[in-house]
Amino acid sequence: MEQDHSASKKMRVDDAADAVMTEVPAPATATATATASSMNQQLFWSQWQLLDSILPTGGFAHSYGLEAAMQSRVVNNPEDLRLFLVQAMENVGSLLLPFVYCASKSPDAATWVKLDQLLEATLTNEVGRKASTSQGSALLRVATSVFTEIQLLQDLRKTFFGSTSVSFHHAPIFGLICGLVGFDSETTQRAYMFVTMRDVISAATRLNLIGPLAASVLQHQVAPDAERMVQKWRDRDVSEASQTAPLLDALQGCHAYMFSRLFCS
Amino acid sequence: MGEIMELDAVADGEPATPAAPTATGVVRVEKVRGRSAVTRCFAKYPLKIIVPSKVGSASSGAVWLYSLTYGGGIVSGDRISCTVSVGDGCTAAMTTQASTKVYKAVGLKCSEQVLEATVGKDALFAVIPDPVTCFSTARYYQKQVFHVSGSSNLVIVDWFTSGRYENGEIWDFSSYKSVNHIFLEEDQPLFIDSVLLEQGSNCSIAERMQEYNVVAMVVLLGPKLKHIQDQMQDEVKNMMSVQLRPPTSGGGRYAARPQPLPSQKRPPLIASCSPFGHMGTGMVARIVAVSTESVYNFLRDHLAALEPFLGAAPYSAS
Repeated sequence: MEQDHSASKKMRVDDAADAVMTEVPAPATATATATASSMNQQLFWSQWQLLDSILPTGGFAHSYGLEAAMQSRVVNNPEDLRLFLVQAMENVGSLLLPFVYCASKSPDAATWVKLDQLLEATLTNEVGRKASTSQGSALLRVATSVFTEIQLLQDLRKTFFGSTSVSFHHAPIFGLICGLVGFDSETTQRAYMFVTMRDVISAATRLNLIGPLAASVLQHQVAPDAERMVQKWRDRDVSEASQTAPLLDALQGCHAYMFSRLFCS
Repeated sequence: MGEIMELDAVADGEPATPAAPTATGVVRVEKVRGRSAVTRCFAKYPLKIIVPSKVGSASSGAVWLYSLTYGGGIVSGDRISCTVSVGDGCTAAMTTQASTKVYKAVGLKCSEQVLEATVGKDALFAVIPDPVTCFSTARYYQKQVFHVSGSSNLVIVDWFTSGRYENGEIWDFSSYKSVNHIFLEEDQPLFIDSVLLEQGSNCSIAERMQEYNVVAMVVLLGPKLKHIQDQMQDEVKNMMSVQLRPPTSGGGRYAARPQPLPSQKRPPLIASCSPFGHMGTGMVARIVAVSTESVYNFLRDHLAALEPFLGAAPYSAS
């Protein structure tokens, strides 16, 4: 049953326009059709902008534990890197996709606050926790400046800026923004996986583990793994969120112990 | 260890509390004449709870609870569920006598252990068991939920091994899931942790864990444990920082290096500490190690400072 379901989903999202359309109610008139289709066209531009590494959210400052894994000789070469990447993505799938999903499904302030507070208690690794809040607050800052037409983002920033009750974790902010911009939840979750993959690979090139061309080859090679993980972990409730990479978790916690380091996490 | 009071049947004639109708064990620790005492202890198959009257020095006034299972392990389909309440100002330690074995799964049946504990004001509860060892094909699920107040003190050690790794049974179980939740007054989530290892689609557990055989977590929470937290954080930092160094640059690193040089040996034990909670009242250490013995040593060294509270140092007899 699960198989059939995911197969049909996969077919559908091969065409991004279709995936986006499913979220838009069927228009009644020709004018409405035209408006909806121009909205969908606009969505592509928002989607690509949100996923572009040029978006100044500070993702380049984080290695997801890769630097610590290198300094402890757990990752030494491109083969190790591939294994690391697959595990990092699986961990993002099992631990963070539920937060992305729940935030994108109900993009409102009350849900977001609850998810943010729960994630604060869930990210028990200080290095990962700080990386999450710094990227989340940067993303919210960028999104409020870019998507000025979305009132809720402005309100959130006004209400919670400087507040100690929320931490602005990345996954719920990402889900919330994608939800408000109009992505469907599957695209949102796949996009989150993509951003993780992109940042780990980008960190690997700067750590000199792999060259830029080989990095692009690797990115293409692991895409089917990434898709499998999206299908496996998507649409889950936050009560199911689990971490699946204890070795990487212990290693990432060591990040602050390194005498010399390139990355913040 | 002194005389043993064994309470493996309904000791006080009461039925299990309505809140936990399926509980296989219920323990209540309260102050009696100024000392921590077990005022209720109930356990039924497959759980056994032993309360030795003397562990360590009597001056500590701590209660020790030994949780045992018939046959020394949990068979497929068993569900053990225990409720512990540690009253205001009381001290209790809960431990095991040997590693908890989780036997081979029969079909898709899981072995389950659930612990629900309430820790009162100024109370200390230490959950300091031996590791869980899952045999090949085993399926294990564990959930521990702790309700604490701002002045409660809590020690949780939660750890598991790759299996009977000395016999070559390494990361061969089907699934292991351990959930630890700590809630502050009014059910505010303070620490929400869930570790899941299952034989997987993208890579096997053995591939993920590499040469490491043990995964451990130590949680220290509360004002009484502040100095132990600080000490552990400092010592772990010192231990790990000498192990971590950037790879020696010998030309470009694009080329694959299938054989790490001897100097590139990985640390046999990797540990890191993180504070948690609003004021950093809690600390969690994550450890992965090649051998069980090295983790016993780590725990013995770093938890020795609990002796004044518990009357005996954790893992000193292991």
